[in-house]
Amino acid sequence: MFFRRAGIRHTRYQSERQIWPLPFDRRLAILLFLFALAAPFLLDRLHLVGYLLPWIIWSTAALGLNFLMGGAGQIHLGYGALIGIGAYTTVHMTRAGMPFEIALIGGGLLSAAVGIVFGATALRVKGIYLAMATLAMQYIVDFVIVQFPAISGGTQAALTVPRVRFLGIPVVGDLPSYYVALAVCVIVTLFMLNVKRSSFGRALAAVREKDYAAAVIGVNTFRFKLTAFWVSSFIAGVVGGVLAVCYYRTISPDQFHLELSIQLVAMVIVGGLGSVLGSFFGAALIMFAPIVINQLIGSLAVALGLAISADLRAHLPLMLYGALIIGFLLWEPLGLAKIYANIRNYFLVWPFRHARH
Amino acid sequence: MERRTFLTGTAAAALMSQMPIRIAAAQDKVIKFAMPQDFTKVYTFVTAEYNQGQRDYISLVNARGGINGYQIVADVSDHGNDQPRAIEAYERAKAGGAVLIDPLSTPVARALVPRALEDKINLITAFSGRSDAADGSVFPYVLPLSPNYWTQAALLIDHFKQKDGGSLQGKKICFVHIDTPFGKEPLPILEKLAEKEGYELVAFPYTPPGNDQSAIWPQVRRARPDWTMFWGAGVGQTVALTEAIRNGLPMDRVSSSVWLSESDMDVVGAAAATGVLKVEPCVSGREPKLIQDILKEVVGPGKGAGPENKVGTAYYNYGVMLAAIMVEGVRKAFEKAPDGPITGEWLNAGLTSISNFEAEGLIPPTTVTPEDHQGGGKARIAHWDGSKFAPDSDFFTANQDVVWEEIKKSSAVFKETGK
Repeated sequence: MFFRRAGIRHTRYQSERQIWPLPFDRRLAILLFLFALAAPFLLDRLHLVGYLLPWIIWSTAALGLNFLMGGAGQIHLGYGALIGIGAYTTVHMTRAGMPFEIALIGGGLLSAAVGIVFGATALRVKGIYLAMATLAMQYIVDFVIVQFPAISGGTQAALTVPRVRFLGIPVVGDLPSYYVALAVCVIVTLFMLNVKRSSFGRALAAVREKDYAAAVIGVNTFRFKLTAFWVSSFIAGVVGGVLAVCYYRTISPDQFHLELSIQLVAMVIVGGLGSVLGSFFGAALIMFAPIVINQLIGSLAVALGLAISADLRAHLPLMLYGALIIGFLLWEPLGLAKIYANIRNYFLVWPFRHARH
Repeated sequence: MERRTFLTGTAAAALMSQMPIRIAAAQDKVIKFAMPQDFTKVYTFVTAEYNQGQRDYISLVNARGGINGYQIVADVSDHGNDQPRAIEAYERAKAGGAVLIDPLSTPVARALVPRALEDKINLITAFSGRSDAADGSVFPYVLPLSPNYWTQAALLIDHFKQKDGGSLQGKKICFVHIDTPFGKEPLPILEKLAEKEGYELVAFPYTPPGNDQSAIWPQVRRARPDWTMFWGAGVGQTVALTEAIRNGLPMDRVSSSVWLSESDMDVVGAAAATGVLKVEPCVSGREPKLIQDILKEVVGPGKGAGPENKVGTAYYNYGVMLAAIMVEGVRKAFEKAPDGPITGEWLNAGLTSISNFEAEGLIPPTTVTPEDHQGGGKARIAHWDGSKFAPDSDFFTANQDVVWEEIKKSSAVFKETGK
C-alpha cells in the first residue's frame, strides 16, 4: 500500500545500497527528522522537556549500548557508570573553564579509557561472567564517585552545571539544550545506521556470532572486541555530558547507579538487539510507560470515582508495567523493532498475505 | 473484545490522560500544590503516612471553606525516586499552574533545585534535599521549612550534653551511618562540635542500602560508646536498631534522626526497643488539637486519605506539620496581597513571612524569613516508651552558630559556582 516497490529500478550500486532503498522509508525518515527539528515550536514545554528531551538522550545511550550488545554481542551491566564518568568529567572540565565541546570529547575519552580497561575482561570471559565483570565496574565507579568529595561535590554531593556555550551559542533554556542533545543523537544514529555496512561492523558481527570462528577467518578478535568497548564507552561518555548539561543541570551520584544500567539493558532488549529503531522504541517504552500508566490509572480513578487506596493506586501501574514488558516480549521476543518490521512486511506485500521470503 | 479495539481504546485513553491538567488549570479559585512523591521505591511507607497526613490536613482546610474562598488542590503522583519521572512531574505541575512542589526525596529535591530557582516555584524540601537550602538568600525558592540534618545532629549533641551533666569532655560518641552523601552529611557538624565540646567521635559507615550491618555493630560495642547515633533511611534504620539491641547497647543512649517511627518499632519489636531516642520536629500522637480536628471532621465522615490507624503516627504528623506550614504560607500571602495573582512568587512572599506559627500546638514556634528557610531549627528529643514516643525535652534549639557556619560555607560554594 504505502511501500510501492513497482517501478523502482536501481541502475547503480549506490542506489541499491542506500540505507533506505524504498522511497516511503526515506520520506518517513525525513519527515521524522523535520518533526524533531521543529518540535520546540510544535510542542509545549511540558512535552518537550518532560518527554522528548529525555527520550532522545536515553535513546542515544541505548544506541551506544546496543552497539556493544547487539553489534558485538558483549553484555554490559555497567553502562550507567560509564555515563556517570562522562557526566562528571564534562562538568568538572566546564567548571574548570574549558569549552563545552572539548569537555564533551574529554568526557567521552575518559569514559572510553575506563571502559576499555574493564572491557579487556571480555577477552577472557564471556556471557554471564562478563556481566559480572561489568557489574563490578558499576560498583567500583559508584564507590569512587561517592568516596571522593572532590569528584561528587562536597557534603551535598550535588554539582551544579555551569552555563556553557556550544559552538558560540549559550546553552541556556530549553531550545539550545534540545538542539545539542538532538545533534548528538543524530550523529550517533547516523553512525549506527552506517556501521553495519562497513568492514568494521561486519567484523563485529563475526565476533558476535562466534569469536574463534571469526579468528579462523582472519578477524583480529582482540582488536575488535576492545574497539567495540572503546566506541561504546565513548558514546556513553558523550551522552553523560549531554545528560548533565542539557537535562539534569545538577548531577549527583544516584543518577548513575545500577538502576540506570539495568534500565538501558532493558531498553536494548525490549527494543530489539542490534536495531537502531528498536533503541528508540525501547527507550520510549521503558521511560514513559510508568508515567503514562500512572496518569491513566489516576485519571480513570477520578473519572470513574473509584475509591482505590493510595497504595494500590501507586503499585497498580508497576504491575501493569511489568505485564506490559513481559507481554511485548511474549508477543515478539525479538523486540519492538521486530513488531514494527512485521507490520512493515505486512504492508510491503499487501493485499497479499505473505511475502515470498 | 477484539485486540484492535482494545489497543486503540487503550491508546485513546492514554492520550486522554494528558488532557485533564488543562481543564483543572482553567478552574478558578484553586491553589495547586504538586506532590509527586516516592510511594514505590525507597521511602514507601514513609511517603504513604506523610502524604496521608498532608492530604487529611488539606481536606480539613477545604472542608472549612478553604483559604479566602480558595480551595487547595493536592496533586499527588508517584515519582518512584526516579529523576526523569520527577522532572516530568515537575514540568507537568508547572504547566498545570502549581505554585508549590513537595517531592519528599533527597535526590529529587537536589536535582530540581536549578529548575525551581529559575521558574520561581516553591520547592519544599522538608527533611530532605540540600541542608544549605536553609540559606534563603542563596536559595530563595527552596524551602526546607524543617530542621535540617545538621541541626538534628547538633540538637542531639546538645541533648547528650544536658543528660551528662553539662559536659561531654572525654566522652565517646559513635556515629553509625549509611555510606552515602546523605549518611555522611552530619559529619562536619559532629567534628566541629567534637572540637568544641571535647568528646571523641568515632564514625562507622555501613554499605548501602544497609540490610546487613552485622559486621559494624560488634565494633561499635567494642568501642564502648557513651552515646550512639545511627543515621540512615528505609530498611537501614530497622536493621541498625535490631543490631544495636542484639549487641546489648543501652537503648536510652542510642539515638537517630527524625527518621524513626512506630512502623519501625513494629519491625524491631516494640518492647525490645524501649528507650531509643529520636528527634521530633513536631508533637506525635493524637493529642494535638489539629489531629483531633482531623479525626472529627475528616476521618470521622469517611473522607480520610488512608487507613485510620495511621492517623497520629510520627510520619503522619510530619505530613500535617508541613501541610499546615504551607497553608499558613497561603494565608500570609493573602494578607500581603489579597488579590494575587496566585504565583510562585506570591506564595513565596507568604511562606517567608510566617512568624511564630505553632499550628495549634502541633509544632514548635516556627518563623520563616527570607534569610532563614529552616524555620528556626527547633525540635525536641523523644524516647520510645514501648508503645509511643514520649518527649524527653521541650522544643529547643542549640548550636545554631556552628550549623549556620556550615550552611553559609556550603551555600557560598553553590552561589559561586551555581550560576
